[in-house]
Amino acid sequence: MTHTLTIASRELRSLFVSPVAYVVLTLWSVIAGTFFLASLIGFQERLIQLQQYQMFQQIELMNLNDELIEPFIGSMWVILLFLLPAVTMGLVSSEKANGTDELLLTSPISIWDIVLGKFLAGAGFVTVMTAIVAFFPAILFVYGEPELGKTISGVLCLLFVSITYVAVGIFASSVTRSQLIAFVFTLVLLVMLGMMLPFIIDISMAGSGLGRESGIAQTVRWMSTGSHVDRMLKGLVDTADLAYFVISSAVFLLLSKTVIESARWR
Amino acid sequence: MSNGSSTQKQGNSPAIEVVGLAKRYGDFEAVRGLDFEVKPGEVVGFLGPNGAGKTTTMRMLTGFIPATDGEARIAGHDIFSDATNARRAIGYLPETPPLYPEMTPTSYVDFVARLKGVPRRSRKEAVERALGRCGLLDVRGREIRQLSKGYRQRVGLAQAIVHEPKVLVLDEPTVGLDPIQIREIRLLIQDLAATGGQTVLLSTHILAEVDAICQRVILLDRGRKVLDQSLTELTGGGVSLEEVFTRVMTRDEATEPGAEGEAA
Ligand SMILES: Nc1ncnc2c1ncn2[C@@H]1O[C@H](COP(=O)(O)OP(=O)(O)OP(=O)(O)O)[C@@H](O)[C@H]1O
Ligand SMILES: [Mg+2]
Repeated sequence: MTHTLTIASRELRSLFVSPVAYVVLTLWSVIAGTFFLASLIGFQERLIQLQQYQMFQQIELMNLNDELIEPFIGSMWVILLFLLPAVTMGLVSSEKANGTDELLLTSPISIWDIVLGKFLAGAGFVTVMTAIVAFFPAILFVYGEPELGKTISGVLCLLFVSITYVAVGIFASSVTRSQLIAFVFTLVLLVMLGMMLPFIIDISMAGSGLGRESGIAQTVRWMSTGSHVDRMLKGLVDTADLAYFVISSAVFLLLSKTVIESARWR
Repeated sequence: MSNGSSTQKQGNSPAIEVVGLAKRYGDFEAVRGLDFEVKPGEVVGFLGPNGAGKTTTMRMLTGFIPATDGEARIAGHDIFSDATNARRAIGYLPETPPLYPEMTPTSYVDFVARLKGVPRRSRKEAVERALGRCGLLDVRGREIRQLSKGYRQRVGLAQAIVHEPKVLVLDEPTVGLDPIQIREIRLLIQDLAATGGQTVLLSTHILAEVDAICQRVILLDRGRKVLDQSLTELTGGGVSLEEVFTRVMTRDEATEPGAEGEAA
């Protein structure tokens, strides 16, 4: 446990002084600000439009959560798919490139210490990213009355998704010593996991003649992050969705541990 | 030497004990049937031409790569069944110093001290001592990436000694250093063995280095041990180390063709 924290704190310090981290955090903040402003303006325009047509019933139905916060966090999730690989690409691969894996693997610590330390550090970093995103809906509480529960559920959703993706990134980073390869591999995995799985299954099921609701189809759809995100963004926190994040993180961490361990046997 | 039970942790058990150690990469035998012992406090030079298997052996001893066959004990701890204790007893400077370029020598050595389990109370002191012994106090706050190769090598050495391990495994510790630094590192190694009672296994290509600090020489060639003798015995007759090695290596080459099996 102490070794896990030792690895995590070293990694976090290195992450935050790396140029990549600054580029990612800057891009992330700028994109978040832009998206938020755009959604805010869109929200206002729709409001004005509805007022012009005197559609007061619709105005009643408009609320900050469904029309603004949810799509905003949803789009930040898509951006995450493309930015997160840059954060995690070096987590394990750079140890191999630096030769520091020789230090870690000859120290009296376990491979779990290494994997979990990296995971904690990555989780710390994406917590900062999530906090940046959370800042914008927080402004709305000053001027309006969004639903607190729904907003928190949305922010937590982004945090859980990010943490799960960190585990995916660690796995991709552990199979190579090249940061570039790790980046591309993570991106492919995240896009598959995040968005492509439902399409792939629909297409292949249609071809195989199995129903779209067959067991395999449902399982694969469950494996996709998208549906869980959609539900949580709507404020529907379900243990099944939470279990999804826990299970997929655990699977990818276990894979990383196995890869690091077996790399020595070659 | 008395033939006590070698599995005992204390007492007269050798600091390093290697029995039938072997490493195969695919079909290629990098190390085969290696046996040797190093007594506590001894400084042993690990020699051999490029590709002889020195680094491979050291990597097996330190637990970086698993051996294909054979066994080894560090300070009485089996490197497979008692890996954690074996690792705790070792300080290791790999062929390429395992450094994080963005860290400072102080924070880096402190990180390693934590990894090796130096207790919290004595950690600061241990880090100071390691930095001091390796002559790093002047550059302790600089980023490692800004340091010269020689200083980076010293940081690697500081890392290896910070937890005061019983056994030091140093893979070419003086490579890339200037003559004055080489001298300093040699003095440091001698001092570690003399005052700290630490056991040192170091690989090198510099025969003068062996002459200066080693009590014993183990010569590897193509994965096999071809010589294991004390320095006084070797150079006793007024022969230089270089002559001895040239003789051993050429004799070995002459017997090699056809001899596929393991040497006795
Ligand atoms: N990962 C590996 N895969 C395949 N072969 C390897 C691997 N590592 C080392 N070898 C081979 O094992 C042999 C021994 O290598 P090793 O690095 O132990 O030699 P060395 O004695 O340290 O040489 P040097 O003096 O050049 O450092 C070499 O022929 C090398 O090519
Ligand atoms: Mg070598």
